[in-house]
Amino acid sequence: MSGYGWWIFWIVLIAVVAAVLHFKFPRGSRGRRRLKLAFWALLLLFVGAFLHYTLPQHDIVRVTNTYNRLTTIGENWMFYAAPDVGTAESGETRDIRFIETVRANNKVIVYRNEDTGWVWPPYFKYDSSNLQAEASNLKSSAADPQWVSVTHYGWRLPWLSIYPNAVRAKMVAGPDVRIIPWVNIIILTVLAFLIFMAWRMLAQFRERSIDPMLEDLDEASDAVQDRARGTWGRFTRWLGSWRSPPPR
Amino acid sequence: MIALVRLAVFGFLLLSVIYLLVSVYSRSVRREKLEDRWDENHPDTDDKQARAKFIEAGMRQYERGLRKKLIWLVYVIPMVIFVVTVYLVNYQ
Repeated sequence: MSGYGWWIFWIVLIAVVAAVLHFKFPRGSRGRRRLKLAFWALLLLFVGAFLHYTLPQHDIVRVTNTYNRLTTIGENWMFYAAPDVGTAESGETRDIRFIETVRANNKVIVYRNEDTGWVWPPYFKYDSSNLQAEASNLKSSAADPQWVSVTHYGWRLPWLSIYPNAVRAKMVAGPDVRIIPWVNIIILTVLAFLIFMAWRMLAQFRERSIDPMLEDLDEASDAVQDRARGTWGRFTRWLGSWRSPPPR
Repeated sequence: MIALVRLAVFGFLLLSVIYLLVSVYSRSVRREKLEDRWDENHPDTDDKQARAKFIEAGMRQYERGLRKKLIWLVYVIPMVIFVVTVYLVNYQ
C-alpha cells in the first residue's frame, strides 16, 4: 500500500473503533468513564514519551571511539534523520557517524551523530563533522579519563537499532558534575504557558461567541416548537393510527 | 536549502494563524473588560447608546495602543529562538 493508502487505512480504523466504543459505552456509563480515563492516560503517556525523546539530555561520559559505518535503515527510519538533510544522502543505506562512550558506572552508550535538518526535531544541527572532530579530540583511556558532557536527544534501543543523536560535547571536571537542565526547564514552562493560553482562548471564544449563539438558537427553536406542536401532534396521531388496529 | 525555505514558508503560515487567533482573543478580552468597567461604574443606568459609545471609544484606543503592537512578538520570539538555537547548537 502507498503512503496515502496507509493514512486512509489508519483514519478509517480509528473512526470505526471510536464509533464502536461510542455506541458500546453510552454516555454516563461506568465503561465510558473508564474509557475516558484510559484515553487521557494513554495521551499523557504518549506526550510524555514524545517529550522524553525530543528534549535534550546530558550524559557524563568518556569518549572511547569515533567512526562512521554504513548503516541500513528500514522500519526504524522514524528514529533517523530525514533523507533530505546533509549527512543522510540516501533513505535506505547511509554512512552514519557514531560516537562510542562509556559512563562512570562502566555502562557503554553509543550515539549517532547526524544533522537534524530544518524541521524536526528543531535542533537545526548542521555541524556533525565538527562535532565528530571534537569528540575524536576528547577521546581518553580508562587510566587517564577525560570526562565529557554529551548533550543528546533520543533513545538507545538495541532491538530497534536506534541511537540517541549527539548534539554537543563539552569537557567537564569529573563524572559527578551536576548539570542543571535550563533548556528543559524553559521549554516545559513555555509549553505549560502555551497550553494555559490555548485553554483561556478557547474559554473566551466559548463564552463570547458560542454561548450567545446557542442561547439565540435555543430561543428560536422554542418558538418553532410552540408553533409546531399542533401539527406534530396531529402527525404522530396519524402515524399511530397505522401501527395498531383502532381500539373497539 | 530548499528545506530551509520550506521551514520559512510553513513557519510564516503557522505563525500567521497564531497571530490572527491571538489578536482576536486580545480584542475580545479588551471588549469584555470595557463592558465590565461600564457596568461597574453605571450600575443603574440603562443607556445602551452611551454604553456602546464608551466601548467603541475604548476599542479605538486599543487599536492604537501598545498592547496590540505587542502581538507582533508572536513573529519575533520564535525567530529569536530559532537564531539562538542555531548559534548554540552549531557555533559553540
